[in-house]
Amino acid sequence: MTSHTDADTTASPLAFLRRVLGQAWRDLLSVYYANTTIWRLLKSVGLLFFGFFCWSASNLVLSYGVDWTILQYTRAYGFVLILWGPLTHALVVPLVIRLRRTADGGLTRTIARHGSKINLSIFLTVVLLLGTAPISPMMLDFQSSIGSDSGSDVNPDLACTRADGTVHCHLSESAGVDVVVVTSGDTEITRVEQPPFEFSFQESDLEEVVGQKEFVVELRDEDADTVRRYRRYLSSVPEE
Amino acid sequence: MAHKLDVLGLFDNEYRDDGFRTCSVTGLEVHRSVENHVKLFGLTAVVALLYGGIFAFTVAMTRWEAIGLLGPDAFYKHLSLHAWNLLIFWMVFMEIAILYVGGPMVLGRRLPFTKIAKGGWLVMAAGAVLVNYSIWTTQAPNEPPLLTAYVPMPIDPLFYAGAIVFILGTVVAALPFFATMWFEKRENPDSTLPLVSFAAFVTSIIAVEALVGGLVAFTPAMLWRLEIIEWWDAAWYRQMYWIIGHGTQQINLVAMIAVWYFLTHVVAGAEVVSEKVSRTAFILYLFFINLGAAHHLLSDPAVSTGWRLWNTSYAFYGATFASLIHAFAIPAGIEAGRRKRGKGGGLFGWLTSAPWTNPVFASTIFSIILFGFLGGTTGVMMGQLQLNMTWHNTFATVGHFHGTVVLGTTVAFMGLVFFVIRTMFMRKYISKRLASLQPFFYSGAMGVAVLMMMYVGILYGVPRRTAEVVRNIPGTEFSLSAASPLFALFGVFALLAIAGGVLFVLLAVGSLLFGDRVESPSDNADLVADGGSAERSSANDRATEPRDSLEMATDPDDPVHAYEMRGTFVLCLVFLAAFVVTYLLNWYLLTQLWSIGA
Repeated sequence: MTSHTDADTTASPLAFLRRVLGQAWRDLLSVYYANTTIWRLLKSVGLLFFGFFCWSASNLVLSYGVDWTILQYTRAYGFVLILWGPLTHALVVPLVIRLRRTADGGLTRTIARHGSKINLSIFLTVVLLLGTAPISPMMLDFQSSIGSDSGSDVNPDLACTRADGTVHCHLSESAGVDVVVVTSGDTEITRVEQPPFEFSFQESDLEEVVGQKEFVVELRDEDADTVRRYRRYLSSVPEE
Repeated sequence: MAHKLDVLGLFDNEYRDDGFRTCSVTGLEVHRSVENHVKLFGLTAVVALLYGGIFAFTVAMTRWEAIGLLGPDAFYKHLSLHAWNLLIFWMVFMEIAILYVGGPMVLGRRLPFTKIAKGGWLVMAAGAVLVNYSIWTTQAPNEPPLLTAYVPMPIDPLFYAGAIVFILGTVVAALPFFATMWFEKRENPDSTLPLVSFAAFVTSIIAVEALVGGLVAFTPAMLWRLEIIEWWDAAWYRQMYWIIGHGTQQINLVAMIAVWYFLTHVVAGAEVVSEKVSRTAFILYLFFINLGAAHHLLSDPAVSTGWRLWNTSYAFYGATFASLIHAFAIPAGIEAGRRKRGKGGGLFGWLTSAPWTNPVFASTIFSIILFGFLGGTTGVMMGQLQLNMTWHNTFATVGHFHGTVVLGTTVAFMGLVFFVIRTMFMRKYISKRLASLQPFFYSGAMGVAVLMMMYVGILYGVPRRTAEVVRNIPGTEFSLSAASPLFALFGVFALLAIAGGVLFVLLAVGSLLFGDRVESPSDNADLVADGGSAERSSANDRATEPRDSLEMATDPDDPVHAYEMRGTFVLCLVFLAAFVVTYLLNWYLLTQLWSIGA
């Protein structure tokens, strides 16, 4: 049944707040120490996902040059949590609970009494350390190599014209291109292996695809990998 | 007595002289005609799952560029086969089975027009084979169609023919369901349908809408491809195509939610907190859910700004609101139902004391959680006009629909298959332990893989549909190599998820072929919520009403909302927080792309 009692209606706002916060804290503790198989699993997987989220989102926002120091710590928290969350709830908490039942004294007893505090302390220390001095695997790189000096795009213009039943094409530049292959349907029309890659072919060689004559020009590099592909319809090729 | 064709004894159950039997788990009166057709469609769905799953391996191992299994041409062919078999055939065959469960089975009726049902199955199967054949034999100048066979892209006419045949078969197979609804309302004009039947009916209406859209899109496209029609309008095609293209996914969504209500009630003792509210949510789906398709066209120059605003900033929230209602109603129903049975215990005791070793329950709950957190929230974000620009055609989109269709629908349907194996095929699992493990293993691995898809898409802008991404985009120096670490995580977890899928097929098929037969109702006692008996006070009881033989903690006559649902409330707050943070983060990303006022 519902938990509404007379105390709810008569308590002062402060007492009510204190009671709600106290209940929330007890709920939190009961979840932290819940030790059935399914609880262990739910907590471990939940923290794994949460860790991934904190880690990647913090990295992302930091990559835009946002100068919020707190993000370095949420990043470290997420990164450590990916492993530490499952470790805590799959191993440490069950171990602490078992030791509390069985430990007779000495060091084992101390670990049993303070195991969770020790675990949390180590976890927070690692987070603080990694937040202050991050290691490279935890820093995602969001920089692409666009605009680097290592090379340039292979993106020439393909210009075609037609006259007297012949189609003539040429590329605006040849850099990065090793061979040009022209196909229509599943037939190879022509293949050009020398710059500047000018070529001609007969309109009658072209096959019709869905009612239109078309051809495909493929640029390949020295490894025979396709680097650009152009599809042209004959009807859209201008006459000279 | 088994049919002469039933050499494996899969269709051999004990029925009374009138053809009915009483299910020991649900308490439903099940007629032979319904059960056999549910089995037929369900088995076919699992075959499609197996076939499409094979291509999940080749596709994932190509996208994980460190492996780079296939070249671009073969990749797109494999991707098309993967998509059609899993997104369409596995789902739609299952959905017809769900219509038969939600209709005649829940209503305790026989399936009318069984020859039409069989004919529908035959036509659907023929369409599926034709689509697979046409994709596998695609040759230049044709391209493999994937799911966007946009005009004027040259596609094998056989593909269009196969898709049309499959759609027609689906409509035919749905006819006995509609006839059942007709007969039911004629015989009981004053009584409302049970919630599960109501949900199935809404599903069927959305399905017909989507399927008709498919016919309207594919038929002229095929005529154009056969050159009977000289020209076809590409923008018009895209609008029509997305009625089925996204509409089929809305069928999946609504069918999945019907399964959630059904299975959480049967195996976890959930009750419906408010029939009216849940029904209203389904009605909202009926009017608004198909507008989700609009997000595919938000980068399309052919639609006006007004069209975009209406579809994505106003009407679409009608569907979102409906989903949020279900997101609260279903866990609340579980919590209240279990507390009523004395299975509460603190904030979340109702959840953790639930039958997690039962794969039907675990699958259903993982489907609810993962669909909500990963599929649902991202769907709302990418369905929004502005945020769509950062998601469109990136790998994050693929992450989104794997979050909805795989982590949501497929996992829920896997749970349903586990349920059907025990209650209709009457087979025990070949390994109870592995069956218990499978939902955890598959959902966990797929969850991380989906998360990585979203990350590499939204954080790095990695495109979808291409074989090569990280190392090299052909012909450019544009490199996304920074995404390699997350791609490696994706690859590993995709492999694990595929292993989880293989395990499911092995368990399902193995149990059917080699599982011990369920001989007495006590063999299935563990399927019922808290081990209670499923007997009902009368044969007229509906599946969504509480079974009075279950032991109640207090008075069974207490209304369900007399029990607290604070655990659900806390879970909803967590969900809301995750939603808000993700939403803000996405908007932040967008502001970085726009330099307004700069």
